[in-house]
Amino acid sequence: MGKSSKLARYSAAGLFWRGIRKQSWPRVWRQPAMKSTYDVVIIGGGVHGLATAFYLASNHGINDVAVVDKAYLGSGGSGRNTAIVRSNYLTPEGVAFYDRSLDLYNSMSADLNINVMFSERGHLTLAHTDSALRTMNWRAEVNKLQDINSSLIAPEEIKKLAPSLDISTDTRYPILGALYHPPGGTIRHDAVVWGYARAADSHGVDLHQQTEVLDILCEGGEGPEGKGAGGRVIGVRTNQGDIHAPVVVNCTAGWASQLSNMAGVRLPITTHPLQAAVTEPTKTFLPTVVVSGSLHVYVSQTDRGELVFGASVDPVATYDQRGTLQFTEELAGHVLELMPGLSKMRLMRQWAGLCDMTPDYSPVMGPTQVDGYFVDVGWGTYGFKAGPVSGEQMAASVANNNLPELIAPFALSRFTEGVLVGEKGAAAVGH
Amino acid sequence: MIMSNRLPESSSEVVDRSKPIRFDWNGKKMKGFEGDTIASAILANGDHILSRSLKYHRPRGVLTHDFWDPNLMVQVGDEPNVRAGHRRLEAGMKISAQNVWPSLKFDAKAANGIAGRFLTAGFYYKTFMKPARLWPVYEKVLARFAPGGEVDLNTPHGYHDKRYAHPDVVVAGAGPAGLAAAIAAAQCGASVLLVEHEYEVGGHLLWGTDDDRAAAATLLAQAAAAGVEILTNSTVTGRYEDNWLGIAQRSHPIAVERLIKARAKVLVVAAGLIERPYVFQGNDLPGVMTSGAVSRLINMYGVKPGKCAVVLAANESGDQAVEDLKRADVEVARVVDARGSTTVNCAKGSRTRIKSVEVSDGSSIDCDLLVTAVGWTAPTSLLNMSGDRPVYDAAAARFFPNSPPDNVLATGGITGDGSRDELIAHGRATGELAAGRANAARHRIQAATASAAAVAGDEPEYPSDNRAPLTRADHPELHRSSTHGLVDYSEDISSKDLFGAAAEGFDSVELLKRFTTATMGPSQGKLETVNTVAILAEARAETIEQVGTTVWRPPYAPISLGALGGRVFEPVRVSSIHPWHEANGYTPILAGQWVRPEHYGDPHAEVRNTRTNVGITDVTPLGKLDLQGPDVPKLLSQLYTNKWMKLPVGGVRYGIMCAEDGVVLDDGVTARLGEDHYLMTTTSSGAGGVWNWVENWLQTEHPEWQVHVTPLTTGLTSINIAGPNSRKLLSRLVDCIDLGPGAFEYMQVRTGTIAEVDNCIVWRIGFTGELSYEIHVPSGHGLHVWNALLEQGEDLGVAPFGLEAQRIMRLEKGHFIVGQDTDGLSKAPTTGMISLLKLDKDDWAGKTEVAWALEDDYPVIVAVQPTDPKIVPEEACQILRDGTREIVGRITSSRHSPTLERSVCLAQVSREFAVAGTTLTVLLANGERINARVMEHHAHFDPEGERLRG
Repeated sequence: MGKSSKLARYSAAGLFWRGIRKQSWPRVWRQPAMKSTYDVVIIGGGVHGLATAFYLASNHGINDVAVVDKAYLGSGGSGRNTAIVRSNYLTPEGVAFYDRSLDLYNSMSADLNINVMFSERGHLTLAHTDSALRTMNWRAEVNKLQDINSSLIAPEEIKKLAPSLDISTDTRYPILGALYHPPGGTIRHDAVVWGYARAADSHGVDLHQQTEVLDILCEGGEGPEGKGAGGRVIGVRTNQGDIHAPVVVNCTAGWASQLSNMAGVRLPITTHPLQAAVTEPTKTFLPTVVVSGSLHVYVSQTDRGELVFGASVDPVATYDQRGTLQFTEELAGHVLELMPGLSKMRLMRQWAGLCDMTPDYSPVMGPTQVDGYFVDVGWGTYGFKAGPVSGEQMAASVANNNLPELIAPFALSRFTEGVLVGEKGAAAVGH
Repeated sequence: MIMSNRLPESSSEVVDRSKPIRFDWNGKKMKGFEGDTIASAILANGDHILSRSLKYHRPRGVLTHDFWDPNLMVQVGDEPNVRAGHRRLEAGMKISAQNVWPSLKFDAKAANGIAGRFLTAGFYYKTFMKPARLWPVYEKVLARFAPGGEVDLNTPHGYHDKRYAHPDVVVAGAGPAGLAAAIAAAQCGASVLLVEHEYEVGGHLLWGTDDDRAAAATLLAQAAAAGVEILTNSTVTGRYEDNWLGIAQRSHPIAVERLIKARAKVLVVAAGLIERPYVFQGNDLPGVMTSGAVSRLINMYGVKPGKCAVVLAANESGDQAVEDLKRADVEVARVVDARGSTTVNCAKGSRTRIKSVEVSDGSSIDCDLLVTAVGWTAPTSLLNMSGDRPVYDAAAARFFPNSPPDNVLATGGITGDGSRDELIAHGRATGELAAGRANAARHRIQAATASAAAVAGDEPEYPSDNRAPLTRADHPELHRSSTHGLVDYSEDISSKDLFGAAAEGFDSVELLKRFTTATMGPSQGKLETVNTVAILAEARAETIEQVGTTVWRPPYAPISLGALGGRVFEPVRVSSIHPWHEANGYTPILAGQWVRPEHYGDPHAEVRNTRTNVGITDVTPLGKLDLQGPDVPKLLSQLYTNKWMKLPVGGVRYGIMCAEDGVVLDDGVTARLGEDHYLMTTTSSGAGGVWNWVENWLQTEHPEWQVHVTPLTTGLTSINIAGPNSRKLLSRLVDCIDLGPGAFEYMQVRTGTIAEVDNCIVWRIGFTGELSYEIHVPSGHGLHVWNALLEQGEDLGVAPFGLEAQRIMRLEKGHFIVGQDTDGLSKAPTTGMISLLKLDKDDWAGKTEVAWALEDDYPVIVAVQPTDPKIVPEEACQILRDGTREIVGRITSSRHSPTLERSVCLAQVSREFAVAGTTLTVLLANGERINARVMEHHAHFDPEGERLRG
């Protein structure tokens, strides 16, 4: 069992008293020495890995857990996404899953005692063509029956929600309508990472940053070095030494397939960069999240006043995380098409993150053919939205060594059994 | 109006006193001169507070007086976040302070300052959690504190442009080294683009001695003589793969801002050095400035920065500031030489100006100006973007380039220290090296280009780097004094905040940056990064090398969305018949990139006329791919689900394409025009995607197949002629094609002359369910053929019909549309075309998934008729299991049929409900539930196809 530490509760009163007494806050998480054995090793210190660790400890009493990350916590997709959350998906599986995630995000500030600044600001998906309008209508009708608050609205109403949008009809891509999803919004992604890290740590989970997994150790499998089907996992080799563990959970993105190869488990994943950019801050003028599938852009304005932009994944598979000039050009062109008044705003920073894409735009979760080796990977461009619920379900999966109902559609076996999940239609530029 | 702080005219200044300029600052009328920056003009008029800080709303004045000065962000008209230390004054500018309420002088939010000790970095993560319902209220309050200016949503786009450039060498930075590099490279024969961020070339020579300025002028003349293209007030914003450079040109005579995209063979980074502020208590009081700011204000702009100064000097730049101050008649009360062991402990002042300085020797000196010269930050952004990871040198107290790629060379202050002549010499050597490497690269590129003329001479040797490096002068490491002060001015983050955050566990550079937001403001760490890293190192009791640094990402300096977006060029496609549509009362509809006629007034009448007489419609947007080569049948067999190896010449076949996941990608007909010659048609919206798909298979999966693909979508104008009189009409325009029922059957193709136009293609198909021909004519003659059809068919009752009539007729006929009746989840079996899914065929895209789907339950497209013929359920209406909310399908297409005088639909339903005769429950958008019947055939009209085959 790991050692639990007492959580210093965050509150306004706490800020006040520490201010008066000039007291600093205690460490947000410990810096434990790495043990040679853990019950569970989780690879990847992002939202998925940390949430899994937290729920393992809090829901299942398993706290002899190590989370290892090759860089710092939240250094991958968790810190690079555009932090948009929503639940107006198309398939019943998608809706059930993301709705649970949205619930967890909604209560997260209270649950984890950290303000994750969930901003339920509404989410607009614009339709520029007849056919897009038809698809929006379809989503709205389905969502209505699933009790998801999501409806089709007309340009005049869109203008009220987002005055910067040009709803005139003589533009190249006129705005004909939008799917409006009031519960959607944005969240401070780093705070989610830190919240889970702090909560997991307080339950005794050991967090090891700058600890890179070099190999996954197996025995009994049909492949070389005991890896592959029929075998079981016995630990990981890291740049800080070996860790013995009967359970290893791969919660990585970007290099998930390469890591999985270390256990002899091949994943149907190609990795593509997804680019994002942010402008200089200005006074806020965009109160909702705006997404345009036709123009491949989504945009929201942070409370700091910066516009945050994202696009769809780059078409080329690569591990390169450098941004491109072309991306910023297309992005700016499309943003100005939607909001022509922004030509004097300036782009301040661009970056890229890596997205692990599966053929059916859905993740791979749960046990694998290697006993004790679990995966929570293939999260494409939608991993952040699903972080909390994934952690909760993966923890249950690991604790009970089975596949919980909510994530059963995402089993690795679906690729050999032909039951792919159908979110491709909804998730293609689904931010 | 007197400019109270203006110095007497001097030879060193860039302002032109013969050209006064009037402007408006926060409603006050002021006067400046041409050449003034906004800030220098305001300072000259006696105001020294230009902004308020983000969190505590403390008054702020000049700090560095350059592009990076975080205190000098102002609003100019409708433009937010203008850098007042960089932007030149223009007549009539309306300038105002940002982020103040109600005014710069009295700012109510300054009350936050009192609460400062509670508002530590990241305080917002620790509060506002309860009650949850109040967070949106808190959020609105926080958002009101957003820094920055205001966007006027009615800002016109303005004229922006782009330019492509292919220079041999791009030099970023026109200080002495950059200028020398550009001159040397040009003299070696290279084409050179020299890009300077500031309005004048010369770099620090401009605010140096008279000799310095003379040297700068000489270098400028030499550069011009050598043919260097010089861009001032322009920035190399990013270095991307293979030296693809983005350059923001703000100085274009016409364009508001122009983006130059340059593919440079060699990039020379001569970005100079940025002077770092010093961290101590009171370091953000107005009147605390860097030595560069003081020298620039005095020498370039003729502005007196204060009356009585204390100078903290750790280098020559500080010494120079002392000289400059004395010349400007500013009393220098004390020079604190930081090369010894003395330094400044803290500064004290009123709310609006520094009043005294406390020195580490215990003395306290009254002053209204504190000048700091404590060291430099090397702006290595462009090197970072090239993959280099600069290293810290403690002895020189700054970062240096490490190992940039061969086609990126650094020179000047970024690489070391030296006299003006030494910098120029290093620049020259760098320019020669750059030209040599560019020449070798040019040779290599030409030799590798198949079409290029023979390359003269042997390939030149790729020159190695034999430059004598500049020396690195020792410099004391001065980041923070014994007190705490601001590290990030634009974010209001102090060293105390950083210590606190590090103690809390945010103790790696990246975590610290994310938690405190230090270095995340508009200057993106140009001033703040090194101090942040140094303070973290102090907190961790480690060295700066151990702590490491963050990665600088593009852009080097912010670039406007207008420049990036350019003219916003989104072309619209129209067919060659479009002028006729416009002249004849069409209603346009946007379909993907195309504008098409939706109808010409009455779509129902168009349907009736087509069904009774003959109609013609413009179907040019249909995707068309010309396929030639012996392996075309293999390609078609790979992409379509059905068989193609035996299609005879003159035959046309319909096919469905699937993606790898078995989902319907596209459909269309393909004709065999000759032995090895085919014409494939795709859906209008799928034209681009299918072309990509075809090329993907040919280039990556089967490069051995001999197939040549030419997209002909716009090369051919396509017209569909449909209706009982269509044969009669078409026969009047063709002579050499026998249209007789036995000679030219349904699903056949002929080529020939139509209305005297050669090289036309005719095939007999029937999307509308009528006897119909589709003709493809070279697009230059499209309008001619269209007019001929109308003229020749007058007595046959010919009339055009639009997209809407076509949609109605295909729905009456039960033809599905990919993307409307299918969706991103519909696998091929859903179409009901089971006989086209040839599982006995070797391989085709999506076969495995389709085979799996066939064994499983899948939704099916069926024809549906509401019990009440007057009700037309909206498309996307859900079909429910009776008495429940369980979705079992949806209406995908619906229209009132003028032919049948009733509503007709296509729907996707689960197989259980797909049986003919089943009664469905349809939930209308208004919440009402109605009944509808599943029909036996897809076709509501003429299910046997007698009209089509007639």
